[in-house]
Amino acid sequence: MQIRPSGFGNPWLQLALSVVCVLASEFLLKRGAADVAEPNSAWSWTGVNGLASPLVWWAILLIIASFVSWLYVLRHIPLTIAFPLSRAVDILVPLGCWIFLGEFISTLRWCGIALVVIGLALVAKPIAQIEERL
Amino acid sequence: MAQLVLKRAMVSITESGFRNLRFISLVTVGVFLMTISFFLTLGLLQRFDLSYLYPFQGLSVIIITLMAAVMLKERLTLQLTIGTLLISAGIVLVSLS
Repeated sequence: MQIRPSGFGNPWLQLALSVVCVLASEFLLKRGAADVAEPNSAWSWTGVNGLASPLVWWAILLIIASFVSWLYVLRHIPLTIAFPLSRAVDILVPLGCWIFLGEFISTLRWCGIALVVIGLALVAKPIAQIEERL
Repeated sequence: MAQLVLKRAMVSITESGFRNLRFISLVTVGVFLMTISFFLTLGLLQRFDLSYLYPFQGLSVIIITLMAAVMLKERLTLQLTIGTLLISAGIVLVSLS
């Protein structure tokens, strides 16, 4: 068993940071996309106009930070443990949409989200094992 | 898909270093797929709520499960089958909301 670094290099702290970065990037992407939305434009489905928003650029930086942090985590924690824990975002994103973005989430959607979260919790470990072999 | 391609690229480094055609082409394809996925998500976020779109990421798990069944010829465990069924049902409910 290798010695795990402490302080900022602690892989568990990095895992938490990675989750926070993913979470913040999702909210920034949504806010940025909403700020520059042009639903009537023929090319808005490509999302390229989203680059006009500074929030989207902040989101890109956070995505890169979460990726770097995730690669670091994988050097110290097995994927079969790190991956299921990282799926905390599946619960935190809908909660954040409700609390921070003020989105209205109907009972039907909450039920759907709950089923997806339970399903992901069930498959997280076997999926991580499969990903290691694919 | 992009993640799996990039993972293959990383494996190819351990086999024959950074300067090989396989690594370069796999990284290019992986980054290209990630970029497309990023912009399509950005386009969809202009039209839909994040709470509506996010659960659809569960589809990637279903795709990986199918790939495991087809490429690795794996028998799906009961846990994996129930999990993917729950995710599918959840996505149907979210899409109806």
